[in-house]
Amino acid sequence: VRPLNEVWRFAFRVLAWIAPCFAAWYWIAAWYDRPAAWVARAMAGAWAGGSVEGIAFEGSLLTFLTTIEVRSASGETGLLSVDVNPLVYTYGAPLLAALLLASPRGWRMLVPGLALLVPFQAWGIAFDFAAQLLRAGPAVASQAALVGWKAEASALGYQLGSLMFPVMAPVVAWAFLQRGPLRALLVDRAVTRDRLQSE
Amino acid sequence: MVRFFLTFLAIGIALFALELTPVVQKLLVLPWTELLARTSVALIKVFDAEVVSFGKVLESTRNGFAVSIEAGCNGVEAALILIAAMLAFPSPWKRKLAGIAGGLFAVQALNVVRVVSLFYLGQWSLTAFEWAHLYLWQALIMLDVLIVWLLWLQWLRSGESSRAPA
Repeated sequence: VRPLNEVWRFAFRVLAWIAPCFAAWYWIAAWYDRPAAWVARAMAGAWAGGSVEGIAFEGSLLTFLTTIEVRSASGETGLLSVDVNPLVYTYGAPLLAALLLASPRGWRMLVPGLALLVPFQAWGIAFDFAAQLLRAGPAVASQAALVGWKAEASALGYQLGSLMFPVMAPVVAWAFLQRGPLRALLVDRAVTRDRLQSE
Repeated sequence: MVRFFLTFLAIGIALFALELTPVVQKLLVLPWTELLARTSVALIKVFDAEVVSFGKVLESTRNGFAVSIEAGCNGVEAALILIAAMLAFPSPWKRKLAGIAGGLFAVQALNVVRVVSLFYLGQWSLTAFEWAHLYLWQALIMLDVLIVWLLWLQWLRSGESSRAPA
C-alpha cells in the first residue's frame, strides 16, 4: 500500500479543521469583525469625501452613519445610513485558520495571519459601502464625491473586494506564512525521495 | 518567493480586470455560466426529472424554487486565481498548460457539485443555503484551488528531480 501523498494528507487535515474553525468564527464574528470595520471606516471616510460620520454595530451587522442628505418621496429629509454584512468579507479567516492549524506548527502564525487579513477585509467592507452609495443614485454619489474616475474605481474596488480578496487573501497569507514548510514539502521531499530511491 | 507573489498578484488582478470587461462577460463568462447551468441540470436529471434550466437559472418544476448562477458562483474567479498561480510559478509552458487544463477541470467539477448542492439545500432551508452559499462553499472552492496547485507543484518537482543528472 502506497503511503498517502503529503498534499492529500494536508487536504484532509484542513477539511477536519474547517468545520470547527467556521463554527468558532461565526460565534465570535460580532467581535472579530471590529478591527476590519474600524479600518474600513477610515478607508471609506477618506475615499467618500469625508461623508462617514461614524459606524454602529448590531450583532454582526455593521452600519455606516453618513452626513449624506436624502429626501423621501413625501419631501422629508434625513441622513443616510448604509448597512454592510462584514461576514461576506471575513469568511476567509476560518479558511486561513484551518490551513494554519493543518500545517506544522502553523498555530503559532494564527494571530499574525489573521492580522494580515484585516486590510483586505476592510477593503471589501469599505468598497461595499461605496458601491451602495453609487447604487443609490447620482444625488447620493455626488455628495460623497464618487463621480468620474472615482465612481469607476469604486466599482472595480467593490468587485475586487467581494470576489477576489476574500478567497485569495487567506491562501496567499498562508503560503507566505508557511513558505518554509511549503518549500520543504515541495522541494526537499522530492529530493529526499529521490535520494532514498537511488540508495 | 517574493517575485512569485508579486507576479501572481499582478497576473491575477490583470485577469480579473479583463474578466470584468463587457466583451469578455458577453463572449466568455455568460456563455460559460449558462453551460454550467445546463451541465448541472443534466446531472440532476439523472435522479430528479423535475428541474429545468433557462439561461443561468436552475428551477425546480416541483416547487418553483430557482437559483441563478451569478459572479462568484460560476467558478471563474477561482479559475483565474489558479491560472495566475500556475503562470506566475517558474515552470515549462507544457507543464503550465497541462496544469491549467487539469486544474480547471478539477475546479469546475467541484463547482458543479456546489451548484447542485446549493439547489437542493435552498429547497430544504434558506438559512442553510445562505450560509453555504456565502461562506462555506467559497472557502471549499478556494481550498480546491490550493490543493490542485500544490499537487501541480509536486508534479513539477518530481519531473525536475527525475530529469536531474545522477
